[in-house]
Parts: sequence; structure tokens; C-alpha cells
Amino acid sequence: MSSQRLSGHLSVDDSARRIRNYRYAEERLMRVLGGWIALTPELPAKLLFGRHVWDCAQHADLWGRRLPELRAAAHESAPANDAMVAFTEMLESPEGPRQTLERIVGVYGVLKPHLVTIYARHLASTNAVYEPPTRRILVRCLEEERRHAAAGAIVLDRLARDAAARARVADWERRLLTVLEKAGGVTGDATAPLVDPAVLGVTPEVVAPDLVQVPPDFDPAALPADLAAAVDALRKSLESGDDADAAAWIEPAARDALRAAFAPLAGRIAGTRVVGLAAIGRQQMVKLRIESPRAIGFVQLRWTQTASGWRIAAGDLVSTEPVSAAP
Amino acid sequence: MDRPIAYDKLAREDRFVRMRARDVGELKVEQGLPPFPDLASRESIRERVHGIMVGELQAMEGAGRTVYDFPDAPWEFTMDMARQVWDESRHVETYLGLLEHLGGRVGEFPESTILWRCACAEDAAARVAGVNRGLEGLACDVFNQLIHIAQKIGDPIIEKAVDYVLADEITHVRMGSRWLNELTRGDAERRRKAIEFQETIDERFNLGGSRQDGHHELVPISIAKEARKLAGFTDEEIERLVKSTQRSQVY
Repeated sequence: MSSQRLSGHLSVDDSARRIRNYRYAEERLMRVLGGWIALTPELPAKLLFGRHVWDCAQHADLWGRRLPELRAAAHESAPANDAMVAFTEMLESPEGPRQTLERIVGVYGVLKPHLVTIYARHLASTNAVYEPPTRRILVRCLEEERRHAAAGAIVLDRLARDAAARARVADWERRLLTVLEKAGGVTGDATAPLVDPAVLGVTPEVVAPDLVQVPPDFDPAALPADLAAAVDALRKSLESGDDADAAAWIEPAARDALRAAFAPLAGRIAGTRVVGLAAIGRQQMVKLRIESPRAIGFVQLRWTQTASGWRIAAGDLVSTEPVSAAP
Repeated sequence: MDRPIAYDKLAREDRFVRMRARDVGELKVEQGLPPFPDLASRESIRERVHGIMVGELQAMEGAGRTVYDFPDAPWEFTMDMARQVWDESRHVETYLGLLEHLGGRVGEFPESTILWRCACAEDAAARVAGVNRGLEGLACDVFNQLIHIAQKIGDPIIEKAVDYVLADEITHVRMGSRWLNELTRGDAERRRKAIEFQETIDERFNLGGSRQDGHHELVPISIAKEARKLAGFTDEEIERLVKSTQRSQVY
């Protein structure tokens, strides 16, 4: 055996330190993806996060169990430095329902591609004689993180539908990368580029298991024709400001309650859209998105069949948000 | 991110209509309909499948929150919860597929957030007792019934898919049994509160009293005793559950 085959880059202690850094990143990813699932409205993103929590947990577990083999305490996570902590705090900060794009790009456009880059470099520099236990973990994590990043890119592309959304994505990605650079990457000593596109490519078949086929968006054609006609007439009344005409669609006993429910949206209604329909026996709950100059509101109107046709038996304003926050 | 988050932070696409289960049941009774799907028609099966799909969604969200909310919990506990997140994400996919198989669509029926509310308990032991043992135990009963109906109507797609989900649920209940014991070891008061929480759930969320002791042919939803034993329930616990269903309130 040539002595060249026994040369290496990292000491045992340095290797353990890097592994604690990796475990920190994988554990943070596992926890934040888990926490975000409930806060994320869009099904493709929600299910993407759900798919990956377990993979990240296994990566953290593999790294944590490797540590005692390197004379270190098992299952310890450690950030490379304070700047890395600042990076993860920034990554985790978008938690509003309208910040899904920031959540996806932070994890799938920045941290995971960075991990792929770092794992690939580490793998290339490990010694094949005395570091195979680390190499095996690197190979697995590298392959799975690469797959995750590709899946995230597909979901991001699907959700960032217009130029404004794509600009938001690019801006958040740039800001996160700047902070990650200050940290020197997850290991504190990573050199540029922190994300190397050359190591990221995967084929669509590899990504497929991470993507759940979600049903198409709600189609208002789901409304039965006679109900659709009644709902359309109500919407026209609301949009034209004809309160008397709108009230005619509401059962007399429900008018006061509905007037009170609509009060936060008082003022000119700029537009309405049917966004949901749910059956309660023979009754139908129609969900409307109502736009006024300052607020977007969602109302659920329970329609019931009467001798005069479909009428609203009850309704609630279920949420409002400022126009500036709505998509 | 807050630990835990408020109930009303649960995020949904606009197409979902959210309502209290009690209100939905009452509105159906007013129309002369059973408060819960009786599985007597394909539409009724579709409504049940939709209810399970949103339950799986909430189970995934709840397990995900548990991974986030308890960073100081034992690592193996976190691993079990992370595994559960993955399982639930597959269950959502399974039930989305079954919904399509039955000609349904997401949002076709109102969503209630019973499971999610239980998943917001502040104590990890209460969460595993309430969600893993209480609600996932209920899921074992419901899935067992769905498999039985699928066999009766000759639908192998539903039968096989739900059977795999049931196998996972038994694992989740087993996790709940394990972690209820381990998290409360040496803390009798914490254990008492967690079990009390689970029993409240067993009594309250009983599908209108339709869950009973007896064979599938004789009762609307049969308590899945064998599945529950596999999942770590003792004979005494099953007996207590049977008794609680006899005095159960609607919902």
C-alpha cells in the first residue's frame, strides 16, 4: 500500500467538529420543517415539508451516532459560530401564511443546496481507507439532500407564478446567502461558492417520490347550475353596491346577523370570487373571497333550497386581512 | 416561532370550509340525515374518506408541531414523531387518491379541527395520550370498519390502501403507549393528567355514539380490540373504553 493512500485532510477531532455542525443544520431543518407544516396553507408545500422531516431526522441521527466513534459525545449538535445561529434564525423567521415562498426558498434554495455542496466537497476529500463510516453517511445525505433540493425547486416554481413572486424569492435568497457567507457556511470555513450548481442536478425520476400529486385548484364549476346562478346574482348585487338586492338573497331571519358579519368589510366592494364549496347534507356552504379597497375578507354562506329557490340561511365572516398582505 | 402556536394559526388553502363538527352534525340532523356518514352509499363513504383525509392532514401538522415544540424531549421521542410526520404525509396522499377514486374533491365537505386542537396540548405526554392513543385509537376502529365495508362492496382499492394505513396507525398508537409511559415515569400527576386528557377524548369524540362493542354486522363501528391490543392497550383499558362508549355524548 502506498503511503499516499493514507493521507487525509481532517483529524479525528476536526471530523467530529464538522459532524456536530452538520447535525446542527439537519436537526434545525427537521424541526423547522415540522413546525412550518401547520403554518403553510398550500398543499404542495405542506406535503413537501411533511415528506422531508423524517429524512432530516435520520440524517441528524446518523451524524449523532457517528460522533462517539470519533471520541465525542453522541447526539450533540453545534453551530459553527454565532453567525450561523443568526442565519438559522433568519431562515426560520418567515412564519406568516403568505410567506410560503420565503420558507421554501430558504430551505430548498439556500440551505439544502449548500449542504449538498459541502457534503460533496467533504466526500471528495475523505480518506477511503480510514473514513468509510463517515463516507457512507455523506453518500446517503448527499443523495437525499440533492433530491430534496430538486423537489423544492419544482414546488417553488409551481407556486411563484408571477414576476413579483419571483422577485420576492430572489430577494430572500440573496439576503440569506449574504448571512450564510458571513458565517462561512455550516462549517464556518466554507469557501465560495457556498452553493455549487454543478453538484445539484438530479433526474425527474429521482425526485418523484418527494412530490405528492395534489388535486387541481378549486373550480367554481363544482357549483350546481341553479346555485351558481343564485350566487352570481348575489355577487353582482354586492359588487354594484345594491344592498337591497343582495338582502333579497338572504332569509329574513338571517339578515341582521349577516349585516353584522359583513360590517368589517363595509364600503365599496371591488370584487368577489367563489373559492370553495362544501356540502352539509342538501345544504351548500359557499365560500366567497370579497375584496374591498382596504381589506380582503372570506365569508362562508350557507345556502338552502326554499320554495323561492336557493337562499342564504346563515353566514360568517371567517377571516380578513389587509389588501397589502393578500396575494 | 411560538411554542406551541395558537389553534387558529392552522393554515389552509382557501378552498377549505372550516366548521365545528357539532354544528355540521346538528344541521344534518335538522335535514333528517344522520349526523355522521353511515357509509350506506358511495357518497357517504366519500364524505367519511374526506373526513379522514383532513384528519390525516391535521395528524401530520400535529406531529410536525411536536417535533418543533419539544426540543428538550428525548431524541428517540423526536425520531418517532418525525417518522409519524412522514407516515401521515403518505396517509394524506393515500386518502387524496381514495377521494379521487370515489369521484370526490378536496374541500367537498366542511373540515372540523378536533384533531388539531388535541394536538395543541401543552404537554408532550398529553399529546401522545390524546392524539396517538385517543384519536389514532379511534382511527383504528374507523379504518377497520372502512375495510369491512370495502370488502362488502367489493372495492379492493379501498380495502388494501386503508389496511396499510391501519398498520401504520397501530404503530402510532404503540408509540403513544410507549411515550406516555416513558415521559411520565416518576411523575404520577403528569401521568394522571395525560390519561385524563385521553379519556376525555375517548368519551367526547365517539362519532355520535356509533362506536360500540360488537361485530361489524351488529354495530355501526366496532371497537377494534385486536388492533388496540397490538398497539399496547391493556384489556382493562379496552373494557373502560367499551363502558365509556355506552355513556357517550354525541360527537
